[in-house]
Amino acid sequence: MAANFWASSHCKQLLDPEDVDQVPAADRERGMTLEEFRLVKIHMSFHIWRLAQQVKVRQRVIATAVTYFRRVYTRKSMSEYDPRLVAPTCLYLASKVEESTVQARLLVFYIKKMCGAGSDDKYRFEIKDILEMEMKLLEALDYYLVVFHPYRPLLQLLQDAGITDLTQCAWGLVNDTYKMDLILIYPPYMIALACIYIASVLKDKDTTSWFEELRVDMNTVKNISMEILDFYDTYKIDPQRGPPEDKISPVLNKLLAKS
Amino acid sequence: MAVAAPGQLNLDEAPSWGSRSVDCFEKLEQIGEGTYGQVYMAKETGTNEIVALKKIRMDNEREGFPITAIREIKILKKLHHQNVIKLKEIVTSPGPERDEQGKPIDGNKYKGSIYMVFEYMDHDLTGLADRPGMRFTVPQIKCYMRQLLTGLHYCHVNQVLHRDIKGSNLLIDNEGNLKLADFGLARSFSSDHNGHLTNRVITLWYRPPELLLGSTKYGPAVDMWSVGCIFAELLNGKPILPGKNEPEQLTKIFELCGTPDDVIWPGVTKMPWYNNFKPPRPLKRRVKEFFKHFDRHALDLLEKMLTLDPSQRISAKDALDAEYFWTDPLPCDPKSLPKYEASHEFQTKKKRQQQRQAEEAAKRQKLNHPPPHSRLPPIQQSGQAHPQIRPGQGMHNAPPVAAGPSHHYAKPRGPGGPNRYPQGGNQGGGYNPNRGGQGGGYGSGPYPQQGRGPPPYPGGGPRGAGGSGYGAGGTNYQQGGPYGSSGPGRGPNYPPQGGSRNQQQYGNWQ
Repeated sequence: MAANFWASSHCKQLLDPEDVDQVPAADRERGMTLEEFRLVKIHMSFHIWRLAQQVKVRQRVIATAVTYFRRVYTRKSMSEYDPRLVAPTCLYLASKVEESTVQARLLVFYIKKMCGAGSDDKYRFEIKDILEMEMKLLEALDYYLVVFHPYRPLLQLLQDAGITDLTQCAWGLVNDTYKMDLILIYPPYMIALACIYIASVLKDKDTTSWFEELRVDMNTVKNISMEILDFYDTYKIDPQRGPPEDKISPVLNKLLAKS
Repeated sequence: MAVAAPGQLNLDEAPSWGSRSVDCFEKLEQIGEGTYGQVYMAKETGTNEIVALKKIRMDNEREGFPITAIREIKILKKLHHQNVIKLKEIVTSPGPERDEQGKPIDGNKYKGSIYMVFEYMDHDLTGLADRPGMRFTVPQIKCYMRQLLTGLHYCHVNQVLHRDIKGSNLLIDNEGNLKLADFGLARSFSSDHNGHLTNRVITLWYRPPELLLGSTKYGPAVDMWSVGCIFAELLNGKPILPGKNEPEQLTKIFELCGTPDDVIWPGVTKMPWYNNFKPPRPLKRRVKEFFKHFDRHALDLLEKMLTLDPSQRISAKDALDAEYFWTDPLPCDPKSLPKYEASHEFQTKKKRQQQRQAEEAAKRQKLNHPPPHSRLPPIQQSGQAHPQIRPGQGMHNAPPVAAGPSHHYAKPRGPGGPNRYPQGGNQGGGYNPNRGGQGGGYGSGPYPQQGRGPPPYPGGGPRGAGGSGYGAGGTNYQQGGPYGSSGPGRGPNYPPQGGSRNQQQYGNWQ
């Protein structure tokens, strides 16, 4: 991908936490709380993940899709852009951008298959809906499509620190950060460092001197780490399924009911 | 982010995200044509700035926003350089369906059009070179070459392969600036990339031997071969390797550059299609012989660009350091170059009508394959470093005729026209049974899992008829490409390449 994060649109688009963690005005009017807003985003990240496993795309595609999803809702409201449609469309667009295109037809097929099991009609969409939403998404994203992820820096940093045995643990942590908005707020390598930091504490590896030599802002690294740990504490989410559906549907129904 | 506070409307400010409507622009003239979309010269009504609008048509698209457009946008949004075309913004126009008040029905956007807004450029290199009586000077050629290499070096440093370097994709403005355009085939690469790039890229005449021999693991050297071809073309006055199909292209390359073996190109005999194309007898390299009229430094640089082994081919960076650019006559200052008359006299509909009539006349005449016309060779400058040649001012008895658009794409391309391109876009006929037998062999491009056709193929013929630098034609291989709905006339043994750019576009003109 792009050679240089610092020159990228991704870098220039990093947001303040306050701008990200804020219920869109239209949704607030319909009574959505911040907690509900967060929960829907977590739920939809899981939805994208599950769908992606069906259509079999690379991790990178999923990460890009979730990033798009979260970016959209810094600018658009959920009552205007139904998250149940935005989520698969993000995956569709991300698959094209990351050069592993999934046909819209296939995606719709798997959505239906998944709905069959979950029996929720509100998740069903047709090709036409996806293509229509794609255009709106592109616009909402202002056609900035390149996203940098912590995965590549993670591997390089682990190599550099000589603790590649932590790869699996740290990689899993990085995956989980997409349940949060971190990717919109911090540079990817900082997220990678935070995950290494947590992993090294968990696995009892002393990385203090290595971190010192890096000369990065350790406060930020620690803040990100705290946010990640807080997230685990707060949500205690089933890592396979995500938040229970019965918590989500009432929220979405509230938002999308015709006023 | 300039977002209005909740409850407030942000009416005064231009939106910091979201796209404007194409209504902000007044279309002045169509300057390019492909079957897939048009390129217009337009004026931004607010500022009177002239721009080029490249339309991405959405109504026949089964897979939503075309992936070629996505690639181009992705790449152009990250490249910012004086020798790379600038994508200013993207604007939309609503679909054809409107309600009673004429307002677009929401949600029909995907039936509408998207336009990429580029800075406007007056010419492209092929169009300029093809102007009747046109002669480039040596400092001018050096100036263009240096800009081409500078822009390309920037792309390569940013890990972007252009993959369609050719004259009609090199745009030139009246300040003498040259910019790389049409990134519809470009893609990112990384040095740790484990291959599997498609070899169906780069217009045939400019396609390097490694792609013709089936390589799917390649790098910036592919663009450098194309640069070599353009360089020689500028000095030679006509394309140097005008093959009609892939075998002939390789034959022409071997006739000029000699046949490769494992000594001069280690590993060549292991290339996927080496055995299919192995020449019956070894040929000697004859670049120096063919181009003995070139000056020593030019020939020296050309030799390094037209090196068969991509790993030994000169890089853009090293080419910029070549003696050629540092010996007299030096490259001139772009600003000192002649300003050719505005290429698009947009109010003169009459001229376009004449052009159309000429095309029709040509159609009636049904002339066959006129020989490619040669351009005049460059003026060998003697001592005079900065020639000021203005239209109408004599230029070695070959005054530039300052009329008519010099965009390559704006010319009549009927068979009777001044056509130096071989006719008959369909070169996709089954010329090579071995390859046909490989079946999905081409599918080893970037879309393996989906079992699709291969990625875009830039044209069976060298230069698409509508091959504008803004890439009007560019998007149309979409149809024959990944989404499989190819154009007519596919060769049976050569399935994936049907509906190539050229083929479809000739349809427009014939």
